[in-house]
Amino acid sequence: MKYIDSAIVKLTDVSKRYTVENLALHRVSLEVQKGEFIFLTGPSGSGKSTLLKLLFCAERPTEGTIRVDGMDISTLTPSQIPMLRRRVGVIFQDFKLLGRHTVFDNVALSLEVLGLKTSQVEKRVREIVANVGLIGKLEQKAIELSGGEQQRVAIARAVVNRPPIILADEPTGNLDRDRTNEVMELMEELNARGTTIIFATHDEKLFENTHRRVIRLENGRLVK
Amino acid sequence: MIAGIIYKRALSDIRQNLTNQAMTILVVALSMLLLLFFALFSFNLRHFVEELGSKLGIVVYLKKEVPQESIPALYKRISELKGIESVNYTSSEDAFRKLKKYLADEQQVLEGVDANFLPPSFEIQIDRAVFNIERIREVAAELSTWKEVSKVQYGQEWIDRLEVFSGLTQRALVGAGLLLLITTAFVVANTIKLTTYARQDELEILRLVGATNMFITGPFLLEAFFQGLAGSLLATGIVYATTQYLQSLLSQHPLFKEVELVFLPLSYTAAIIGGSIIVCITGTAISMRRFLKL
Repeated sequence: MKYIDSAIVKLTDVSKRYTVENLALHRVSLEVQKGEFIFLTGPSGSGKSTLLKLLFCAERPTEGTIRVDGMDISTLTPSQIPMLRRRVGVIFQDFKLLGRHTVFDNVALSLEVLGLKTSQVEKRVREIVANVGLIGKLEQKAIELSGGEQQRVAIARAVVNRPPIILADEPTGNLDRDRTNEVMELMEELNARGTTIIFATHDEKLFENTHRRVIRLENGRLVK
Repeated sequence: MIAGIIYKRALSDIRQNLTNQAMTILVVALSMLLLLFFALFSFNLRHFVEELGSKLGIVVYLKKEVPQESIPALYKRISELKGIESVNYTSSEDAFRKLKKYLADEQQVLEGVDANFLPPSFEIQIDRAVFNIERIREVAAELSTWKEVSKVQYGQEWIDRLEVFSGLTQRALVGAGLLLLITTAFVVANTIKLTTYARQDELEILRLVGATNMFITGPFLLEAFFQGLAGSLLATGIVYATTQYLQSLLSQHPLFKEVELVFLPLSYTAAIIGGSIIVCITGTAISMRRFLKL
């Protein structure tokens, strides 16, 4: 369902309860404007990943409403979920790549699901893989790449279909400082081109000297 | 376009997971092998019973007063009955000659006996193509109503036994066959379930990038089609080769020279290959259901 609003992501009194004892999020309300780059931080188990999962419909809220790019997630039917996921690129700490497939195959996946022609897929994959600096490794299997390279492939896959929103769940968690800086540079570039980025991390160094908005979660509650 | 991508993905998946594919095809082939051998046994048993039955003829004894001139007309009437393969006339004299020959050294028992004491008869063979036990009964019943006929013999006891045996084995085979089919479906479905579990990361990634259920399941169902086809074709080939081999062994043995081992008809093999494909596709669809939620 389309909804006209200035915010590209809007959560209103959202709670998520997994079990009676396990309340992952408690009445969280949050707005993210189009083109914004926000950091979502907090200790492990504070609800960062749950919040991101709610935004790409990997989980459903127990209470409250969520709107993402004009879509009301609480009313989405299972057949509409793929449409939402094509509008939201997701990057994980563990990359989630098809290890035995090539870099090209992994990145092309996001375009193949759209039913694009092979020539279009090839052109766009080459462009984006060149942008992340891996054009020389296009035909290499993902499993043969270093951690930093795998994360760049994951980023390329997340952005190749030009989604307006990127959700990054601890994308630098498995990387050293140099690889982390490379990933952060890529994120800044994407944001400069107008992509809204929600970046979940517990590494405070990443936003110490930044002007970006920082949202802090503790025990499932928004504290900042 | 999507269909083309699904086909391409299925081929790529087969290449990427050759070991899993080979294992699944092997399990399908072994399960189908059991079913095929069972069907082969069942079919050959029925074939054997029918062959045996079709060799049983009907003997029609005529009344002695039937004039010789009416024999050709009677012959024609019998030949025109539905499902008759051959009719042979034996006159009283021929029957006497045959009896003498049969008695060989004991011919003296026939001394002084009138050469016409045996009634003339017709020996009838039912057409093998339309043979069934009921048809023998019908023909025999009809012939016994003719005024020229004194007695009709057709191995009543043999036919009754054959019928009971055939009915019992048929029921036992259908029951056992159904059980085997269920077991086959269960084994195949579970093997596919295991291979689907092994690829759940891939399914998760596909869902993550916004693949529809059709996009995700399409290649898996296509692979299941190939697995079902390849497995059942492999099993059919093995059973065919075994049948040929056994037939060549039997034909060399003097005791079993007459026994004919026949391979399953096309309709049977087509049903087993089709069934194998359906079992594989259904097993895959059921296994994938849980991965497609949310």
